Amino acid sequence: MNCDQAKLFFAEHWSGTLPDQEEIELERHLGSCEACRAEAERLAPLWSGLASLPSEEPGPDMRGRFYETLAAYRDGAATAKTSAHRPLRLVWQIAAGVALLVAGGGAGYAVRGQSSGPSELAQLRGEVNSMRQLVALSLLQQQSASERLRGVSWAYRVESSDTEVLSALVSAVNHDPNINVRLAAVDALHPFAGSATTRDAVLQSLPRQSAPIVQVALIDLLVDLKERDALKELERMVSDSSIDSDVRQHAQWALEKLQ
Amino acid sequence: MNKTVLGFGLAALAASVLTAQDANPLRQSIKVPFSDATAQRKLVVEGLVGAITVRGYEGKEAVVEYTGRAGNSRSSANNPPPAGMHRIGGGRDMEITEDHNTIRVGHGSFMFPTDIVIQVPVDTSVNVSSLAGGAGGISIENVSGEIEASNMAGPVTITNASGSVVAHSMAGKITVTLNKVMPDKSMSFSTMNGDIDVTLPADTKARLKMKTDNGDIFTDFDVTLDPQKGATTVEEQKSKGTKNGKDTRTRYRARLDSTTNGIINGGGPEMQFTTFNGRIVIHKK
Amino acid sequence: MERVGAGELAKLAVLFERHHRALFRYFVSMNRDRALAEDLVQDVFFRILRYRTSYDPEKPFTAWMYQIARRASLDRVTARRGEVVGIEEFTDRRNEPVSAAPGPEERASRGQNLALLRKAFDQLPPDKREILLLSRFEEMKYEEIASVLGCELGTVKVRVYRAVRALEQIYFTLEKERAS
Repeated sequence: MNCDQAKLFFAEHWSGTLPDQEEIELERHLGSCEACRAEAERLAPLWSGLASLPSEEPGPDMRGRFYETLAAYRDGAATAKTSAHRPLRLVWQIAAGVALLVAGGGAGYAVRGQSSGPSELAQLRGEVNSMRQLVALSLLQQQSASERLRGVSWAYRVESSDTEVLSALVSAVNHDPNINVRLAAVDALHPFAGSATTRDAVLQSLPRQSAPIVQVALIDLLVDLKERDALKELERMVSDSSIDSDVRQHAQWALEKLQ
Repeated sequence: MNKTVLGFGLAALAASVLTAQDANPLRQSIKVPFSDATAQRKLVVEGLVGAITVRGYEGKEAVVEYTGRAGNSRSSANNPPPAGMHRIGGGRDMEITEDHNTIRVGHGSFMFPTDIVIQVPVDTSVNVSSLAGGAGGISIENVSGEIEASNMAGPVTITNASGSVVAHSMAGKITVTLNKVMPDKSMSFSTMNGDIDVTLPADTKARLKMKTDNGDIFTDFDVTLDPQKGATTVEEQKSKGTKNGKDTRTRYRARLDSTTNGIINGGGPEMQFTTFNGRIVIHKK
Repeated sequence: MERVGAGELAKLAVLFERHHRALFRYFVSMNRDRALAEDLVQDVFFRILRYRTSYDPEKPFTAWMYQIARRASLDRVTARRGEVVGIEEFTDRRNEPVSAAPGPEERASRGQNLALLRKAFDQLPPDKREILLLSRFEEMKYEEIASVLGCELGTVKVRVYRAVRALEQIYFTLEKERAS
């Protein structure tokens, strides 16, 4: 290997991607050629520095715009025209639905028909539904707890009558692998307090949780819901010595509140 | 590409096993390359017992160091070393796999307590969960990416990091120092008994949601509290010992029964702080 | 616009999630305009949808995507030539980083002055910036870069080397300027 050839291998050498044979030859050359060695040492920090340059991050609405256009694409040219004037709220709903689907693991998701309201609205809801499924597939790629948390915080923006969002939240409370996401999902259930589904779900969830901080959050929610059906489970918790002592005390406090 | 590297010299695999350090013949050091340059680098550590340290460094591959199991006599007795070789570790202590730039580290056929140190390129997302981190806990330093950490016993300490953090400790303290935050990422910190001590860049935009049942909340950020949610009583105290007479920052001391909501720097993604018995301290960097 | 199956849209969403940040970075570095970069990223993904039948699944997707990206960029920049922004102006205009505090990346750079390196990189001619973006930031293989740029493998090697040398020249010139 001569000097000119050696230089062409520098970058891959620094990146560690040079094939073995060439790497051996290059190292042999560098071992014997003072000039090339000096040059390689001089340039290497620049190469490694390049990877550390802070990257430009796109603005927060870029994603929303993309998914909005995607929706327009799905509906063909006619709908695409109207999509330009469609309120941003639709995007929010799509995003929220999607993020929640991810939060719930996307499993066992059933689309329930919402037949009330004018037909245009129904159509819009239909779109939102299918977009949720669509984008859910994509966000499922991102197994990031931070993204799922974002989904949970969006739940506050949807109507509290939205049973799909509710079931996605419940699913997150019970199945999300990340404790912080579960915790956030419990809090997000508060606006859904009016629904019997919420009450049942919270009651059933309590014995399944092992993290004390989630148990506390569920107990607080039950007190909030004034859920007297919880008394039995709370009593069980108070006497269960395998449960964290603070949680048991908290359950005792809840019992007194509810009785 | 999907490689499985076992924590004992399977030299046929692309990962190279370095010789053990002199001090401890069971100390293992395993290099695992990231194979797919098109995907975000990610490290997942799960199901281990013992202190876990993840540290960003300048290299391109992950370097996993741990102490192998002592008294692993089964393999010593049945597998005498080949001529001219000496044993540098035993058994399938650790299982390490790489698939599309995600490296997973977990225990092998036996779970045993060991302190493990993993070095990764700075730009790596990290997801560490520990069954029992012990006093050393989980420690993550110098990385830039999405960080998730969960410790069933012991503290979680994240220092000199950038990106986003989702951290939980069952009973220990959570300490996080972020030099830079990703603008649209939600974060969350939770512990039952420990304090939550988080340092954020001064210009961080966020909506804060803070809850402690038996502790106090402190911050030197200018927090705009949301009066409609939570916050029952808020006391303002001028900080003492001002330097050059210039430090007029207000310290908020909020005492409350439930959740306190507030925004900093005009608001942004949600950051949730939840502890039952601990304090919440949010520092401005 | 044509009708596209939901399955294909889902795939596009997957691709978007995976690549939009890198593409955005590429466009910002090439054109120095954040708004334009956002438009171009959008443009690329819908071109991908339009030309999806021309993609050869045997070949790396990233390379194909960058071929499309270059085309999109070229089309757009040609259309709006005359409003190109100067380097200085761009640097002033660029959004401040979220925090000025030194992050791990700074510490990891062996004392390199990253701000200076950034400046030097921005002053490189576009073709040199581009080859460094593809080889260093995107970490693409030389074969892939060759197919993106439509040149020989050997040419890529030469151009990467020359780009690093050019970067060095500018970097050290800037360093001297600052010292004096």
